[in-house]
Amino acid sequence: MKKNKKDNPMNIELSIQDRVANMKIEGILNSENAHLLQEKLAAVLTSDAKLLELDLFDCRNISSTGIGKILLFYKDFISSGGEIEVIRSSNSVYELFSMLKLNQLFTVNLG
Amino acid sequence: MKKPRILVVDDSIAIVNSLCTILQMSGYEVDSAFNGSDALRKIHSNDYDLAICDIEMPGVSGLDFLERVRRDYDRELDVILMTGFLDHDYFIEAIRLGASDFIRKPIDTKQIIRSIQSLADRRKNRFDHSEFYGHLDEAEFNFYFNPKHFSKFAISKVFNSFLRQNFRINPMVINGLLICVDEMVYNAYIHGTLELSINERLMEHSALQELINQRLQLPEIAHKRMRLAFSINHPLQTITISVEDDGKGFDYQEWLNKVGKEPQLNLDEHGRGISMLYHLADTLEFSKGGRCVTISKKIYPAQ
Repeated sequence: MKKNKKDNPMNIELSIQDRVANMKIEGILNSENAHLLQEKLAAVLTSDAKLLELDLFDCRNISSTGIGKILLFYKDFISSGGEIEVIRSSNSVYELFSMLKLNQLFTVNLG
Repeated sequence: MKKPRILVVDDSIAIVNSLCTILQMSGYEVDSAFNGSDALRKIHSNDYDLAICDIEMPGVSGLDFLERVRRDYDRELDVILMTGFLDHDYFIEAIRLGASDFIRKPIDTKQIIRSIQSLADRRKNRFDHSEFYGHLDEAEFNFYFNPKHFSKFAISKVFNSFLRQNFRINPMVINGLLICVDEMVYNAYIHGTLELSINERLMEHSALQELINQRLQLPEIAHKRMRLAFSINHPLQTITISVEDDGKGFDYQEWLNKVGKEPQLNLDEHGRGISMLYHLADTLEFSKGGRCVTISKKIYPAQ
């Protein structure tokens, strides 16, 4: 059975301009679709971007697999002089990032 | 029978106010939003039976709203679209996206009440079992997964439908439960069943899929099963979910001790899932040498 878009209710938009990558994630980021995030983050890593702005306003929640992809990216991106900022986040994602102390690694803005 | 809870969405304050007044006078529970983004946020955290949405709105249009509802919310929320004109292309697109009905502006009160009632009747006959389950003291469901077929299904999607169609639970609670189920089942699959190491788990997606397919051919892996038990207890207002695998288990006590303390920033791949379960659920327990994990959570019925 082939999976279609409705099986994984998540969408990622990525644009890179003037060394700033803007990534907007909508829906639920879970173990089934975390590899899609990994692919987008890999594209940021190979670009000339030095700042990743994450828009998680319409992201309803993130599983530990998704968090893992962000942290793996964080380690590589920071070591090459990059920075991450969550420019907007939903309540549930903000609470999750605070709980996991990710706000100690990068700025996490609510709403 | 409970009256449908309706979300009215229009960028015109006058239309929202007049429609809300009409619906409230007809006995419906009503909420409102003045743009598509606000409406999507409200759907995220509230439980509605029906949305009545204008098509022509700046930003997230009525069609965008409908598409996002269908994509992100698996339950079949009925959406009635309002428009000042019925352009043929809009109409076709709205049907394709799954609009439940159309009403023309200016709004005809009798027409909209008839449409709402008809959709409510259809919905009741179609799939709403929440009234039945809501009157049971307790209900239990057991699911048995063959790992060979497991990867064909998106467990979050299946559970999202299961919870939304059968129970009236606050969407924020459902959201947390879906992450817990994802975490528990994924661990049972990746660790307990496939016995993948950390390094294997971090492989590039297509290489990982290839490895998983190879593992599933091994007789000692293929005979394993995963079991998920779901129960809801209405007097206690609690949902309990257990996931069990046929793996080797692990030293869970050490991890429980760690996550029970003030959470520390954890950049390692180990233990983050347990930490998330611990904080998202009200209780977290392991048994059978770590092969079985059980969480419980208060449900707070949908408002």
